Amino acid sequence: MRTRIGTSTLVGILATLVVGAAIALLPFGLSDYHRSTGAEVAVFFTAILALNIVTGYTGQISIGHGAFMAIGGYTTAILTAHHGWNDLATFPVAALTGFAAGVVVGLPALRLHGVYLALTTFAVALAVPQLAKNYSSFTGGTEGLALPTHTGMWLYYVGWGVAGVMFVLAWLLLRGRSGRAFRAIRDSEVAASSSGVSLAVYKTVSFGISAAIAAVAGSVYVLVNNFVNPDVFALTLSLYILIGAVVGGLGSLWGVLVGAAFVELLPIALTSGNVGSSQSVPVIFGAVVILVMALLPLGAANLLQRALHFGSKVGQHSDSPLGTEGR
Amino acid sequence: MRARPSSRWIVPLVLVGIGLFLVIGSLDSALFAQQTVSGLANGGIYASLAVALVLIYRATEVINFAQGAIATFTTYIAWQLIDWGLSYWPAFVATLAIAFVVGFVLELVAIRPVERRGNQLTVVIAAIGLLILVEGAIGWIWGNNIKFMPAPFPSHIYNVGGVAFSRQDLGTIAISIASVLVLWLFFQFTKVGLAMRAAAVRPDAARLVGVRVSWMLSLGWGLAAVLGAVAGMMAAASPSVLLQPSMMDGILIYAFAAAVLGGLESAAGAVVGALLIGVTLNLLASYVSWVTPQLLLPAAFVIMLVVLLVKPSGLFGHARVRKV
Amino acid sequence: MTRRMKGALVLAVLAVSAAAVSAAFAAGTAATPGVTKTSITIGGTFPLTGPAALYGVIPKAENAYFQYVNAHGGVYGRKINFKYYDDQYNPANTVPLTKKLVQQDHVFAVYGSLGTAPNLAIRDYLNQQKIPHVLVATGDSYWGAQVKKYPWTIGFQPDYPGESRVYGQFIKNKVPQAKIGVLMQDDAYGQNYYNGLLQGLGDAKSKIVDVEKYDATQTDVSTQVVKLKAAGANVFALFALPTQTIDALVVTTKIGWSPVTFINNVSASPLFMGLAVKSGANVDNDISATYLQDTINNPDTAVAKLYKSILAKYDSGADPNDANNLYGVANAWTLVAALKQAGQGLTRQNFMGALDNMNQINPFLYPGIKMVTNSTDHFPIDQQILEQWKSGAWHPFGHLFSKAY
Repeated sequence: MRTRIGTSTLVGILATLVVGAAIALLPFGLSDYHRSTGAEVAVFFTAILALNIVTGYTGQISIGHGAFMAIGGYTTAILTAHHGWNDLATFPVAALTGFAAGVVVGLPALRLHGVYLALTTFAVALAVPQLAKNYSSFTGGTEGLALPTHTGMWLYYVGWGVAGVMFVLAWLLLRGRSGRAFRAIRDSEVAASSSGVSLAVYKTVSFGISAAIAAVAGSVYVLVNNFVNPDVFALTLSLYILIGAVVGGLGSLWGVLVGAAFVELLPIALTSGNVGSSQSVPVIFGAVVILVMALLPLGAANLLQRALHFGSKVGQHSDSPLGTEGR
Repeated sequence: MRARPSSRWIVPLVLVGIGLFLVIGSLDSALFAQQTVSGLANGGIYASLAVALVLIYRATEVINFAQGAIATFTTYIAWQLIDWGLSYWPAFVATLAIAFVVGFVLELVAIRPVERRGNQLTVVIAAIGLLILVEGAIGWIWGNNIKFMPAPFPSHIYNVGGVAFSRQDLGTIAISIASVLVLWLFFQFTKVGLAMRAAAVRPDAARLVGVRVSWMLSLGWGLAAVLGAVAGMMAAASPSVLLQPSMMDGILIYAFAAAVLGGLESAAGAVVGALLIGVTLNLLASYVSWVTPQLLLPAAFVIMLVVLLVKPSGLFGHARVRKV
Repeated sequence: MTRRMKGALVLAVLAVSAAAVSAAFAAGTAATPGVTKTSITIGGTFPLTGPAALYGVIPKAENAYFQYVNAHGGVYGRKINFKYYDDQYNPANTVPLTKKLVQQDHVFAVYGSLGTAPNLAIRDYLNQQKIPHVLVATGDSYWGAQVKKYPWTIGFQPDYPGESRVYGQFIKNKVPQAKIGVLMQDDAYGQNYYNGLLQGLGDAKSKIVDVEKYDATQTDVSTQVVKLKAAGANVFALFALPTQTIDALVVTTKIGWSPVTFINNVSASPLFMGLAVKSGANVDNDISATYLQDTINNPDTAVAKLYKSILAKYDSGADPNDANNLYGVANAWTLVAALKQAGQGLTRQNFMGALDNMNQINPFLYPGIKMVTNSTDHFPIDQQILEQWKSGAWHPFGHLFSKAY
């Protein structure tokens, strides 16, 4: 089957190029601190992209992507701090260890569905920092490992470079046969399996790829903070990635930027605007999350599509990856 | 596929076996007995919160991440009432009533608008948003310092055969079991309970017979908040838990594991699961040297996972038929 | 050139030089960030929310002292402007918040940041940028021991190994039939104390009969305490954070165990002891160490009254019995003393110089303690005194000690 490049894809490519150019030029007007913040947005972009592959496109819920970030982050930290590797050279290794971890989680995940899978990934997110504390001779334990510092500019371009590469790779993957297989599995496992899609292979591979991308996000995260310890990958990180993915819109790549900006920049904006009362920040942020879920349940991407009258297929699913068993 | 008759008895048999093991071990060694009893006491703290989670899951199929924070919030209300001069048990009862209203209102204001147009995942995200909001609100209203919460059962230590346990430990376990019983009675024998069960299992059919499904959901949240308040007040009474905004964060994690282990649809299962987790972790920590303190949290989940892989719907859960 | 023009030229030159001189005075040097003629801006990160929030009282107490100083003229006419942010004890927050303090708030110095890992995360950046990283709130020995590599970093409180070393020496000399049981946090925090204990015990370390560890995620340590009792220990070295300390003290009483108990200073605030007692613990005769002024047993001294009045006026709601508040005030006093010592022309260089050359009494510290630093000694407070809990309060006993008891 030949794939034709339709109008919406062309417009999509154009939009990506425009946004990409804007992102590339932005740091010249920013301070070093803001460039680091921009690099953190890139980290969340990559992580949310990763989560979207396994949850938005393949329908397997994961509340534990912080764990995969931890695996990548610690790989980078250990190679850099203990073995003197160049930090960028560690990224492919982090991706590989991430992939392996993803497969390790993906295999038992084949037996679990819906809420049980969600809670298992939740458990993984909690277990990985504990493992890091346990094997402290490798990981530095709670005192962690310090990494070389970098300027905000370096971090920004590395972060967005990684994000850009991952975005392109994800787009190519999802356009092709694997992407169709993933979507088929999300929509109906029985139908997919009857059509010859191997559930075991594709579900595990989706976890693996998703984890690999999240691992590289973790590597960048660790470099942005020039430090790693188990607290860096606490549960809130996984929750924020999930929030970002849903706010952005599952099953769509366009919303990922919105989701990343939402979870990284909104809390900062709230803190800056509330000088005396830092206590009100979580209250407002939580309220905004609820509001967004009430008004835009399918996320920003859905809003964008409705506004631009794009194709009706993507993002219209009201079926939850948590499953509708027995209802 | 018809269930084989013998498989119905496997779970109860295993539980009886575990019970026997614990009793024999306790008779054999005072240390074993002490660790078992401490484990049961810890399990008692997780149990009430686990039952609250089960309640909301049964009613809405939503994992309520905010359950612990709501429990903490209601515990702070109890603290405030006591600080204003009310004595313990009146404050306890008043808190239960207030907790019901809080749960009911939160469902109405934060969850129902989301539920209308979204799916389960959006509701879960809203629950996460609620968690962040409520914990922040506690710090905003009462500050982040630790506060002292009195214990309902005056401190009295019993010493039976070298094993020490406090009246509070017994009280916590008793109250968890009592709450499950009360809940069971409510669901089995009252009209409202029946309506709630109908609304949870077959919302469309329930509507047809006149059940106001959305009010049932709010009711469910209200009751869960009451259970959460019990959990919070019992937890704060324990010396290992201090009253602070993040009080229930750790307990929530074990409560999830317990609820899943017991089968998300079963309140009794949640209590059994909680007690099992409490005891098993204590015994592992005492007797298995490669289970270091850091590995206890993962161990709780490994237990949960092992049970799930063998029996995917948990100990007392019913195997669900997945619709095509 | 006419005479008028000459006069104008002279006037112009005078005016310009006067402007230059006063500008130099006003800014310290023209290039000193955070310092103006009327203010000094400093900042730090603290766990204001989250599980470590019980330390969140410290920056408020510090700020109270600064406001007191500001109300009395400030330091050479400059008011201290203290900004503090909530990092929730997570280094991933500490780093961006510290960068914000430096680059957006333009702080003169990073002051008082709390936590070992959070401070390790920002140490490289601050030293590379040559920004003072001072009076950090943690007792790890790094801040004093790694002076050569990190000259811009300095601690405040006595380090943890130094404290437990004295417990070891005390046990060796005064508790002859000791059988020691240790409960420690299973990470560098606990290890710090354990190492000090071993040093202090010397050859008496064979008296340790059992070491139990706990992870920070465990709030219940009854398993470990029960095992320590079962091992036959009659001395209990309790090296834990406040939550687990309170639990351990209650469980000890509950199981009918009465060892000689040593509690680390961080967890020994009367606030925590009170909570343990209310939960049923019998903590009489337990031993700890302190370096702060005893405002509870001597409430009528001038310094005790000053301390309480500062809290009452500038940090209302703060509990004077919580040693963390006194810690904050003592720490803040040290900062102000160093600013004064640096002089009117305040620069980062001469500020660090002042901190590197301290030799003075801090009124909020236990009488007799002198804060001393030099180019190789970055531990401002070396001395402590043992204290014992009786009748609801800590009572210092014995003599001040530094390296040896």
